Amino acid sequence: MILLESHNVIIKTTLADKINKPSSLDVSFVDYDGVRFRLSTPERKTALLLSMQIRCWDELVRYGALDVLRREYGSLLKDQAEGEYNVSMEIDLEQVPAGAEDREAFIDSIALFKRNALAAPFELAFKTQKELEEANAGQGDLMQIHYRDEEAIYVQAANDRVTVIFSTIFSDETDRIFGKVFLQEFVDARRLPAIQNAPQVLYSNRDPPLEIRHLNLQKSEDIGYVTFVLFPRHFSNPAVAATTISQVQLFRDYLHYHIKCSKAYMHSRMRHRAAEFQKVLNRAKQENTSAEKKTVRFVASFI
Amino acid sequence: MPQLAPIICDNGTGYSKIGFAGNSDPSFVFPTAISTRGSATQSSRAPAVPSKPGNLASKRGVEDLDFFIGDEALANAKTPGYGVHYPIRHGMIDNWDHMERYWEQVIFKYLRAEPEDHYFLLVRSFTFDLIITPLNCVQTEPPLNPPENREQTAEIFFESFNIKGLYIAVQAVLALAASWSSPKVTDRTLTGTVIDSGDGVTHVIPCAEGYVIGSAIKHIPIAGRDITQFVLNLLRERGETAAIPPEDQLKIAGKVKENFSYVCQDIVKEFRKYDVEPYTYFQRYEGEHSVTGRQYSIDVGYERFLAPEIFFNPEIYSSDFLTPLPDIVDDVIQQSPIDVRRGLYKNIVLSGGSTMFQHFGNRLKRDLKHLVDRRLDASALASGSALRSSGVEVDVISHKRQRYAVWFGGSLLADLPEFYSSCHTKAQYDEIGPSICRRYQIFGSATQ
Repeated sequence: MILLESHNVIIKTTLADKINKPSSLDVSFVDYDGVRFRLSTPERKTALLLSMQIRCWDELVRYGALDVLRREYGSLLKDQAEGEYNVSMEIDLEQVPAGAEDREAFIDSIALFKRNALAAPFELAFKTQKELEEANAGQGDLMQIHYRDEEAIYVQAANDRVTVIFSTIFSDETDRIFGKVFLQEFVDARRLPAIQNAPQVLYSNRDPPLEIRHLNLQKSEDIGYVTFVLFPRHFSNPAVAATTISQVQLFRDYLHYHIKCSKAYMHSRMRHRAAEFQKVLNRAKQENTSAEKKTVRFVASFI
Repeated sequence: MPQLAPIICDNGTGYSKIGFAGNSDPSFVFPTAISTRGSATQSSRAPAVPSKPGNLASKRGVEDLDFFIGDEALANAKTPGYGVHYPIRHGMIDNWDHMERYWEQVIFKYLRAEPEDHYFLLVRSFTFDLIITPLNCVQTEPPLNPPENREQTAEIFFESFNIKGLYIAVQAVLALAASWSSPKVTDRTLTGTVIDSGDGVTHVIPCAEGYVIGSAIKHIPIAGRDITQFVLNLLRERGETAAIPPEDQLKIAGKVKENFSYVCQDIVKEFRKYDVEPYTYFQRYEGEHSVTGRQYSIDVGYERFLAPEIFFNPEIYSSDFLTPLPDIVDDVIQQSPIDVRRGLYKNIVLSGGSTMFQHFGNRLKRDLKHLVDRRLDASALASGSALRSSGVEVDVISHKRQRYAVWFGGSLLADLPEFYSSCHTKAQYDEIGPSICRRYQIFGSATQ
């Protein structure tokens, strides 16, 4: 698994299961970036209530998350969210599309609940870019999405591009170094001819990039900033735009996932090496350690 | 108290049960299997060495990311180039490389959680390395899961995944905690005898105030798999299997066991009941051929009550192992320290799929009570009827969550506020090192 998937596996499996065999349930689970979900059947077995809590919900609403969700889910979305959650939708299992393919598409779209909510600022930025391009000048507002406690995504549209900046914190010293190497590789790998079309990636440690320098962010060695520059070719086609959004959103988790994978790989090399050394040590052991040892029992004292 | 629910991870030899605290069922139950590139029989366990020259990005392939776990691993088992591995053997982690990668996908692909934000509760199986002698008798005093294994687990979780906190719980204690959900239980005690019967082996584990009495543990080589086999034998003897396609036979036997079996209170009376009114007691199982779609049906008869009977009368199934389960439980409790025996008799807790037969608890309670009373009478007689015991209370607790009792117990405990203070945190780990896992703290019990 190189890329993380954008749908939530628990929603997908539970929903598929419950469509076949409705039963009462009440589970809560999470998704990346501290998103909490609750899937329950408060009234009857066939009416599932799916609620989601996102840390940066207010910001997302400001950038049009409700419109995006309403477009995706229509009447499923409830006006009133369940207590302590930000947004809820009700899925009536009796009105699920009947055909196998339609049903799968329906389940998939629900499993993308979080992705769709987070897609709002990106869609807005893409739209703003179009408008600016026609006006041929200016810059859109800098949108800030504080999706984690100390980390944020900044999205800004300009007349010829959309800039996405991530800040990320490495809680561990080792992680920071791995992250640095990894991101440096990103910048280098882009020079390969095969991936010339990929968006430009810039990485800076400690100092925020120029676009967000005016925000007076706290400076620290642990913070890294990743900047993506998206050009119209990355989002003019709706299908490409959708994948761009899915992948850019998950970038932080992708990065941290790969840091962990690299560590796991290093550990497996270390274990292998230690086992090899152990073999060498074992070879150096003396063959006959269990030679018979005799203790002198009787000492003749009267000689 | 953090907002995000702790993650409960019970990696068993056969299946892993994974989910979030506070839920009543695990979110994922799948085989503890990983399928990686390279054949399963390949002897060299060395990971791939980078060989290609060029810049760093092209030097190393992505072989170490190319693997599947759980059901997907088994589904990919036949794909050329993949081999399935089982990283846990007999309850102990056998291949740490595979286990680390297994956890990697559990966290990132299935749970979709950032390990930095979560506390983890891992389940440690207590015993293991069952040494099965040629006579198929299991040694009574198996070596314990060494603390080094726990240290290595902590190393992976704290250093690879940077988790917030870790609690390594003991299987039997969690099973006891799970029984608190039963309405019969009034005081939340961690003293009791756990009967844990899964697919491979049945364990009888005594626990005193949250600590396992290791010297008294016993194992029985009869569990789910044997019951299924026994049902199949019975079906075969009666000639029912003629209708079932050979490749499905074991599966059908398993379904018959799960859907029709129950524990009877008196085997002779039960036989008579079936013979007098076969139409009310014999049932039919309707099946469908998995390939051709042909319908067939088979009769389900005596195996309904004979299947779980092998716990109580093992001689009907095996000629090697002959001690009934109630006798083993009695032995285990008699070997435990005298001051906890009352508590152990009073709180016998069932856990695992093979204890879910109807009336299993009642039968066990009755047989055990019988054994205890007979011993009390004998000792009263020996003392010349001068001293009489006030009697020993025997109780077996069945509850709704028996199948995943261990996981459920973990989910209950991790939902308590005390959980967070009992966890080993990342800061403690950084300060002291992996040896912190040698300390084990119990919590949650009302009698503490």
